Amino acid sequence: MIKLKNVSKIYGKNIKALQDISLEFSEGELIVLKGVSGSGKSTVLSLIAGLSKPTAGEVIVDGKKISKMLDHFTASYRRENIGIVFQKYNLIPDLSVEENVLLPLFPLNLSRELMRQKAKRVLEIFSIAHKVSLMVRNLSGGEQQRVAIARANINDPKIILADEPTANLDEKLSREFIEILRELKSKKRTIIVATHDPLFFELDFVDRVINLEHGKLL
Amino acid sequence: MSKINFYLLEYAYSYILRHKNKNIFIVTIFTLLVALLTTLFFVTSSLRYELKERIANQSDIIIQNYKAGMPAAIDISVLNKLLEIKGVTAGKLEIDGKYYFKPKESIFYLLGVDAFEMQNDPMVIKLLEKYELSDSEILVSRNVQDIMHQAYYKEYFNFIKPDGSLQKVSIKASFDVGERVELKNLIIMNKDTAREIFGYGVDEGSGIALSVANKNELESISSKIRLLLPNAKVTSKDELLLEYEKLFNYDSGVFLSLFVIALFTFFIIIYDKANGLSSEEKREIGILKAIGWCIEDVLHAKFYEATLLSFFSFILGLGIAFVYVFIFKAPLLGRIFIHENMLEIHNFQLNIHIELSYILLIFLLSVPVYIAATLIPSWRVATLDADEVMR
Repeated sequence: MIKLKNVSKIYGKNIKALQDISLEFSEGELIVLKGVSGSGKSTVLSLIAGLSKPTAGEVIVDGKKISKMLDHFTASYRRENIGIVFQKYNLIPDLSVEENVLLPLFPLNLSRELMRQKAKRVLEIFSIAHKVSLMVRNLSGGEQQRVAIARANINDPKIILADEPTANLDEKLSREFIEILRELKSKKRTIIVATHDPLFFELDFVDRVINLEHGKLL
Repeated sequence: MSKINFYLLEYAYSYILRHKNKNIFIVTIFTLLVALLTTLFFVTSSLRYELKERIANQSDIIIQNYKAGMPAAIDISVLNKLLEIKGVTAGKLEIDGKYYFKPKESIFYLLGVDAFEMQNDPMVIKLLEKYELSDSEILVSRNVQDIMHQAYYKEYFNFIKPDGSLQKVSIKASFDVGERVELKNLIIMNKDTAREIFGYGVDEGSGIALSVANKNELESISSKIRLLLPNAKVTSKDELLLEYEKLFNYDSGVFLSLFVIALFTFFIIIYDKANGLSSEEKREIGILKAIGWCIEDVLHAKFYEATLLSFFSFILGLGIAFVYVFIFKAPLLGRIFIHENMLEIHNFQLNIHIELSYILLIFLLSVPVYIAATLIPSWRVATLDADEVMR
């Protein structure tokens, strides 16, 4: 389903984030990318999401060369197939929970009714519906993460990418997040988590743990 | 961009509100600049319009005699000489002038008419068709009637002649001058009556009005008259226009200071916007791209944001200028634009006359510039890789 073929990524003049790596991920798998900061985990997620393009090599998702796509197509690919949960949530603090969750759908100009239904559904799934009208800045860290997860799932994406999702959570909230991942996996979503949180490494529902160091596979 | 996306419009609106302080500053400067420029254009176009209206009913050339630098009576024999100049088709001795009414500190404009002479002004023509004036009768404008009423003159009026004696006349009727504010203090009477009031001799008048067949020859005929009558003041219609325009003696120093400050600040905003976005703004664009917005969507929202802000400021500036100029008659700043004489002696008023081309010019100088200054840096950021923006 997802293929990285001989991918290298160099930032700026000579910061080698990834060096000639090849990876494959199958549908419905939950993979943990493990490594210290700067090992290249987030770069792998960024390439799969089409947020950046590889310096060399190819990224292929469902047979489509993401790395060669134009901006317009990458955006719709992302909107339809990818849900991203960022380390810092990347919500817009002065918008309400509902607005943040619906933000990916704004360019589609859907009917108000459909938008409301979609928001209600994900907010209920991720137990944040009671905060629908609150400004995100007034939520706790755990609640903000639920909003971020709800936003990532607003379009039922096939692929969920999570970048250090528990870095800002205490252990209780981290376990809650893991339960959410379990649920998502049960729905046959492909999930890739980039983390160095040991909680993830021994989970019974994790299919693979991939080690990265200095942009290379170990 | 053909169909309005209300979600993007709402997002743009919320973006403006979320950056309230910065945007209030932008709206203030933008509005001030538009209001200043529009005020200038409103005032000048309104006065120019009135000027043209006035000139339209003037004679082609007016000759006034001067003695020792002071206006003096002109003799009818001069008219006969002038009618011999090639190109001059008609002429008449005019008897008109200002009359100071001390009790009410008002200046009346007295116009002597002869029912058998051709008149230039359509309003005067109509009045003469309606009323036959005897030597002891006058027609007064409503404003003059009001002033006379305040001084208890209701059916007759006493003019004081140069020798101190009184000329008693009865007020036959009053008339409405409509928007012709320059005629608001007009009194119409027979030429002989006016001659008596001003103390002119039987063959004398205040000036000579000439008609010229070819308007392109106004200048050359005026030059010929100047050679013929070195002591006379010769004013052609074109020169009259210029003379009036000189009275648009606005104090460019004060105006320029205000204008330059507003313009300078506006361009600082434009420069600041065009030079890049804050890290927070960049991050927000990065988030939007990461969750599935394409460059076009980002620009679409930014276009709405800049349009809302600049259009609102533009309309507000226009509205402020309109109210300030046409409702409040441009207090304080009005004196910068208009010479005091213009308002008090020449009775100029700011009537609503708007030239759309000026409004369009101000619009083009402000709104598209601001929109472009918003879109360019957003486009630059939106074309970067989203992860680069967010890192």
